[in-house]
Amino acid sequence: MYVIAGCALAGSMFLTVADVILRTFKRPILGTYELVGLLGAITIAFAIPQTTRVRGHVLMDFVTSRLPKAGQMVLYVLTRLLAIAIFWIMASNLWSLGNDYKKVGEVTLTLQLPVYPIAWCLAACCLVECIVLLWDIFEHKGAQE
Amino acid sequence: MTFGTIGLLVILLLFGLFALGLEIGFAMALAGFIGFAAIVNVDAALNLVAKDIYSVLSSYGFTVIPMFVLMGQVGASGGVARGLYDSAYKFLGHVPGGLAIGTVAAATAFKAICGSSPATAATFATIAVPEMDRYNYDKRLSCGTVATVGTLGILIPPSVVLIIYGILTETSIGRLFLAGIVPGLMIAASFAITLYGWCKVNPELGPKGDRSTWRERFASLPPVLGVIIIFILVVGGLMQGFFTPTEAGSVGTFAVLLLTLAKRDMNMKRFVQAIMETLRIACMVIMLIAGATILSHFFAVTRTPYLVATWLESLEVHRMVIMFIIIAVYLIGGSFIEDLAFLIVATPIFLPVVLKLGYDPVWFGVIVSVVTMIGVILPPMAINAFVVSGVARVPVSTVYSGIYPYIIGMSLCLVILLFFPEISLWLPGMFMK
Repeated sequence: MYVIAGCALAGSMFLTVADVILRTFKRPILGTYELVGLLGAITIAFAIPQTTRVRGHVLMDFVTSRLPKAGQMVLYVLTRLLAIAIFWIMASNLWSLGNDYKKVGEVTLTLQLPVYPIAWCLAACCLVECIVLLWDIFEHKGAQE
Repeated sequence: MTFGTIGLLVILLLFGLFALGLEIGFAMALAGFIGFAAIVNVDAALNLVAKDIYSVLSSYGFTVIPMFVLMGQVGASGGVARGLYDSAYKFLGHVPGGLAIGTVAAATAFKAICGSSPATAATFATIAVPEMDRYNYDKRLSCGTVATVGTLGILIPPSVVLIIYGILTETSIGRLFLAGIVPGLMIAASFAITLYGWCKVNPELGPKGDRSTWRERFASLPPVLGVIIIFILVVGGLMQGFFTPTEAGSVGTFAVLLLTLAKRDMNMKRFVQAIMETLRIACMVIMLIAGATILSHFFAVTRTPYLVATWLESLEVHRMVIMFIIIAVYLIGGSFIEDLAFLIVATPIFLPVVLKLGYDPVWFGVIVSVVTMIGVILPPMAINAFVVSGVARVPVSTVYSGIYPYIIGMSLCLVILLFFPEISLWLPGMFMK
């Protein structure tokens, strides 16, 4: 997933540069704005699970680090479950949003690209994030034991 | 229950979730969802979460963040800082504390292409600390300096903090970039003055280095010129309306990539490393913004920011006192949560207050950035101190003791910027009418 995210990031950078260069010759790449926006969605969504794996999201451990190990474990499991809940909400509702976009034929303004696959991609990434968070609980518990 | 009470309860819930150790971005999304469900209904809240996540992640406007982070990471991986440090060293190495003053000068130039504070601290901890060790510099001075100079990128464009502030408050990023230049240089000068004074009082802290010839000095200038050209291209193009911020970031990244390739300092492995680090940072920042967007929609319904604004306005004190209260909240909040995260949480709440008091949002952006600069090196959540401690393998307490003198200078600069807004607003006023 990180490879896809990295390719989308590098791709959007090169695409934008190519558009800027070609624009000076009055030959801009049509739909660059919307392609870069969609590639941006893929970049971030596909990076979410790995960022969680490497503990890259910001959190406050000022309170939890002062607790005994057992207390830390309980809070760790609780916060993972809360995170799973919010990502499950995101996944299921992004999937429904994709269905709605498909039903009404929502497309981008210039290139007329359908946007529902992007909503589905985001939903899938949120679902993978739920699995990563669940895996994290077992891994953390295993490490404690 | 009134909307104000629900707003207050959700803020308490939010801080409760932070204290439990839930990631800040996730906590904001969850609290916003619960609050919105309580006020409107569950279906509307479910819909809000999906729409906000989709719109933030697929927005062209937010792609500016990964682009400028990538520009800094490519610069950091590609050895640009080494060339700048060598040049600054040749010009300043022979004066008392010269290696550390050279670090300040090199970091100021490096910030023109790299907006990440911890990345700069880590880069200069690798380059400058071993060099200062060679000349028997005191560890407090060398480590304190590299941890502090990392903060310059928060204010000197292209600063990621200013970009995020611009997005959150819908303020022109070009104006913010211009507004950050003079205060950034002023704070860099305060670092150099602090170092010079510190080493004059106690010369053993920072002994003199070798004196270079003028020939050697001029020979070291090409990397500096490369960085200046890229800076003018990025900020100038943005200011003239030739680029959107995302385009400026992409062109800047491409130019830094070409510069490092020309110097044979970049290869596939380093580029992939820069991409991976960018993904981690950009994902963290954008998830914070996505969470804040959900939360701010809840706040918009409850009108919480306006209630806070009205309450603060009702206090019969001078508006500068209210400004000091806001700064104290940012500093205290940033001491417990990561400073950038707190900025994202607090700015939508305080901006209406600031506007109601008649302050300029661009000036407030500069003030918030200086407060964030102090916050990232102020204990107990001094990220730069942790980074330098890890890279240079010294206790965090040693880094802290080297940071304190700089905090005094930065606080003085903050007070000057508070009372003289024209220092920040002069450049944007001149170039962007």
